[in-house]
Amino acid sequence: MKQKIIIGPWSYLTGAILLAILNTLLFAVMHTPWQITTAITYWAAWILKFFGGTPENWHYFANSASRSEGLSQHFLSNNLSLMNLGVILGALLAVLIASQFRVKKIKSPKQIIAALLGGIIMGYGTRIALGCNIGAFFSAIPSLSLSGWVWGISAFIGAWIGSKLLIKYLL
Amino acid sequence: MAEVRLDCLFEACPIPLIKTMQRLKVLNQGDVLIVETDHSCATKNITEWVGKQKLLCQVVEVSNGEWEIYIKKVR
Repeated sequence: MKQKIIIGPWSYLTGAILLAILNTLLFAVMHTPWQITTAITYWAAWILKFFGGTPENWHYFANSASRSEGLSQHFLSNNLSLMNLGVILGALLAVLIASQFRVKKIKSPKQIIAALLGGIIMGYGTRIALGCNIGAFFSAIPSLSLSGWVWGISAFIGAWIGSKLLIKYLL
Repeated sequence: MAEVRLDCLFEACPIPLIKTMQRLKVLNQGDVLIVETDHSCATKNITEWVGKQKLLCQVVEVSNGEWEIYIKKVR
């Protein structure tokens, strides 16, 4: 029982059902479905503000009421930021209960370059696509948004190209 | 009947699975491949793929969050 629930990996079906229930509850309580990268954008903008930058003048924030409101909040007062914190703390808790926590070492410089390049491309991509695989895909499709399907097809093509690059450069 | 170790520590999906596929291809029938990984998803997708190939496999957690996947190339 313990092995199955706490340690062993769950089936995709179990995961899918739980995610659907939890996202529905989140939508009912917060009036916004699960999303991740908008808050990461706030995190980066808050860090920039701390060091004297003025992201509030940027087109991205200045021309949107919800984004300028988000920018005026902080790490623990913004709902989307708290959601991300919940994901991180939840994942940490799960891995600690299963006693599988490890600090991963960096194996090669290739991993650093790939992580940095990948992070920059993903971050830029989520802003022009208005979300990541959670906000713009997983949460968009159940909201009956056509953009979710467009996102999915585009991600499929991107993942195909990405896997070719991965085999060529990272293996 | 060789025993070959494949170091996939600190590698994320899908690299352990692809490395396993490539290495198994060049092994002889009866050889055992031991994949070392600290990526829990790898224990799932590698055992799934090995099952589809009708090969034998066993996962051992050698220390907290670190596994060895024994795969026998029976055919």
